[in-house]
Amino acid sequence: MDRRTFTTLALASAATLALPLRARADEFGSPELIAAAKAEGKLVFYTANYAEIEQQVIKLFNKRFPEIRVEMVRAPGGQLITRVKTEAAAGKLIADIVDHSDRALMQPLEDLFQDYAPPNAADYSKDALVSAKLWPRATIAWSIAYNTELVKDPPKSWIDLTKAQYDKLTGQVFAQSGGTTWTRIMFERQVLGEDYWAKQAATHPVLYPSGAPMADSLVRGEIAMGPLLYNVIYQKKKDGAPVEIFFPPEGVPVNPYATGIPKTASHPNAAKLFLNWCLSKEGQTFMVKELGNLTSLKEPPAFPEGFDPKVVKLWYPNFDQYVKLHAAWVADWDKTFGYRQ
Amino acid sequence: MHGQADRRSEAMRSASEGTRRRAFTGLWVAALLAILSFLVIYPVFMLLLGALTDTNPVVDGIRLSLSHLSVANFLAVLANPNVGEALLNTLIACGGGTLIAVAIGLLFSWIVVRTNTPFKGFIAAASILPLFAPPLVAGVAWAILGSPKTGLINTMFKWMGSDLRIDLYSMWGLVFVFGIYYAPYVYMFTSSALRNMDPSLEEAAEISGASAFATLFTVTFPLIMPAIVSGMLLSFIVMLGIYGIPAVLGAPTNLNVLTTYIFKLTNWSPPLYNTAAAVAIILMVVTGLLVYLQQKLLSGRSYTTVAGKAFRPRSLDLGPWRWLTFALGVVYLLVVVVLPSLALIVAAFRKFMFIRDAASLFDMRQYSLMHFESIFDNPLTMRSIYNAVEVGVITAVVGGALAFAIGYTIHRTRVAGRGAIDLISTLPVAIPGLVVGVAYLWAWIGVPGGLYGTIWILALAFIARFMPDTVKALSTSFLQIHRELEEAAWVCGRGMLGTIATIVLPLARPGVLASMTLLFVLAIRELGSSLFLYTSNTMVMSVLLLDYYEGGNVGKTAAFSLVQTVLLGVLIGGANWLSRGSAQRSAARTG
Repeated sequence: MDRRTFTTLALASAATLALPLRARADEFGSPELIAAAKAEGKLVFYTANYAEIEQQVIKLFNKRFPEIRVEMVRAPGGQLITRVKTEAAAGKLIADIVDHSDRALMQPLEDLFQDYAPPNAADYSKDALVSAKLWPRATIAWSIAYNTELVKDPPKSWIDLTKAQYDKLTGQVFAQSGGTTWTRIMFERQVLGEDYWAKQAATHPVLYPSGAPMADSLVRGEIAMGPLLYNVIYQKKKDGAPVEIFFPPEGVPVNPYATGIPKTASHPNAAKLFLNWCLSKEGQTFMVKELGNLTSLKEPPAFPEGFDPKVVKLWYPNFDQYVKLHAAWVADWDKTFGYRQ
Repeated sequence: MHGQADRRSEAMRSASEGTRRRAFTGLWVAALLAILSFLVIYPVFMLLLGALTDTNPVVDGIRLSLSHLSVANFLAVLANPNVGEALLNTLIACGGGTLIAVAIGLLFSWIVVRTNTPFKGFIAAASILPLFAPPLVAGVAWAILGSPKTGLINTMFKWMGSDLRIDLYSMWGLVFVFGIYYAPYVYMFTSSALRNMDPSLEEAAEISGASAFATLFTVTFPLIMPAIVSGMLLSFIVMLGIYGIPAVLGAPTNLNVLTTYIFKLTNWSPPLYNTAAAVAIILMVVTGLLVYLQQKLLSGRSYTTVAGKAFRPRSLDLGPWRWLTFALGVVYLLVVVVLPSLALIVAAFRKFMFIRDAASLFDMRQYSLMHFESIFDNPLTMRSIYNAVEVGVITAVVGGALAFAIGYTIHRTRVAGRGAIDLISTLPVAIPGLVVGVAYLWAWIGVPGGLYGTIWILALAFIARFMPDTVKALSTSFLQIHRELEEAAWVCGRGMLGTIATIVLPLARPGVLASMTLLFVLAIRELGSSLFLYTSNTMVMSVLLLDYYEGGNVGKTAAFSLVQTVLLGVLIGGANWLSRGSAQRSAARTG
């Protein structure tokens, strides 16, 4: 082999090797976008999701793009919306990305956000979108969990949770806590029956302000079972806690997030790159496998443990009803469960 | 001729000095009022505006908000029976808690300052440890200990074969935890007053034949009444504003107090800030009444006990009884410090908090460093520690200086406008942190010069929020210093500032240091008002701690709060050691 042939071959094989990487990098944005994002060097990420979970996402993103620092501000849904509105009104919105679990709170703010769509926009299910500017970066689903040390005869369905034998053993997140819980109670009334709440309330569940403290109570044994977001309790199971989780056969309520880039973003390219990556197959696969999310991609690249796509029936709320029924139904729920406003 | 001219020029000089002094005083009061307006009045105005409208003053503009004024929020809140119930629960919990706190705090300040109880220094140092733990952490620790289902205390009772069970998820639990948690507050007030008190009055009582017990109740305690009342009132008010403890202990049985109710309102989706502001105003009215009551109780009496006479605080020889007081100290430490710390240590090192029985509690395979590894793996941890210390130092120094200026103006001068200063500086005590956070955000986000997003906006919020605590803590020191000492300095030709520097400051130093320390601790712990003001660069420890808690991770919450407690302990121990050094130096100088 002469030198020229060797060089050609070497270059060719190097090019072949580099191709997949190149192609994958393109998946997240044009070379110009990536260069511009790297030049910006950072972005500010407002999220209503749990900081610890998002920390893992940021860590993986930084493996691919170590030049871009992601600074996170995490607040519960209601507080986050107030902060965004107030900052925006004062002309001091710091966020480059706003990521929220309640689409009904985000949609009225649509005008704050710039036009944005990820490269794989066509792959996303229309059910998950409430605006062309807001994307389901995370999609989370409800499940039922129980403490294996305490429950020897576990529930197998939503209806089982109303059994008299589980009296004073269950927990619930209260209806007014936010978009994800609202999705669940809407599902309960529309799918499991008008009397499901009353039956559930008859077992005297302990009411929690959000899923995370309830998950912790479940692990500690304060309660023995209850509906929980899969991604919240999955972290515990992964760490070895005595819990079991399943997707009930009657249906699984799904809550897609709404995530967008404000018009005022001072690091718009870094924000786009981060969102492109989160919404890409790679980002979504990671969130499914490691965080216990689902995905709103029409063809999911992966499923969480124990999720059989042939059996599990996903349930997306009708967004019109999601907005219109909220106040009246939450008031009904409060009355049924004796939750005082 | 000459004599006449001299007299005339002297008269002119003193007249111009008088004018200068008046101008200076006027400027001084105006400056204080301007600072207070920015720190207090403006945010409170925003809060009132929020309570009286259904708008967000920043989003909808102040003008629109002003045109939408109505009392609808108040009517809705007042007509809601749950608010009434929450208010009643609040008053019971805080009232009961205050009684316990005063009983314990007073007893221990007397034991530590006035008796020869063995190891009293150690008891003193350990007894203020609960102050370092944020209320949320205290709540979590006591939930781990006292839950009716999974509590460690009940687990141990079961193991010992006893049928005894405790349940802290109740009103009694709330009262108990409030009481022991805020005893150090009362202790801090009363111990510095006892330390500064001239013992000759007690000696006089004893010489006249009063027993030690009678002396305690007829001389000692009445003399330090301002400190007792201040400590009592402050602990009551602080309990009114606490969220963490009732949130953890009250939630499982749906036991609501005003703060948990307000938190619910702000955390609902969509959040109801305007209603929350209205509830907060009710809380302010309750507090306002209490402050008024305190002023009424204390006015028209003299509590001067520090005068120009030398004295040495004496300690009472208790004889064999000192072992009883020692035992009391040990029990107190065990309940207030050791048990909750153990609960936190177990939670921080144990992989999961499911504890089947006593054997499982001691199963070492269940323990690991995983929570610590995980928190230090998080880059936010170190940044939040750094930020929190920075904010704490700024708050303590600037807030301490401001509180000194305010306290001196209120208590040691007769300038016009000091009543207003007193009133305004007391106002923030009444506003619960969560709501005041929004008020600060509404008020200060538009301030030109980019205050928002810096560490200073947090520090300013803390200075404003804790001004009443600091001013009240200092007031007791001011009230005790007799005017004759300052007059002596004036007679010797010192000006006002000179008198402050050479007389007031050194004498009030224990109080000043104590209040700055208190401010530092409060600033590091403060959560409610931080929530709205921090940004990605200025994340502080308390916010990260709430993240861990809300993330449903008792293990990491416990691990991080241990880190915070150790950090505070080291910093405050260090500060104490430094100040003791300087005290010795100044003693050597004057000696």
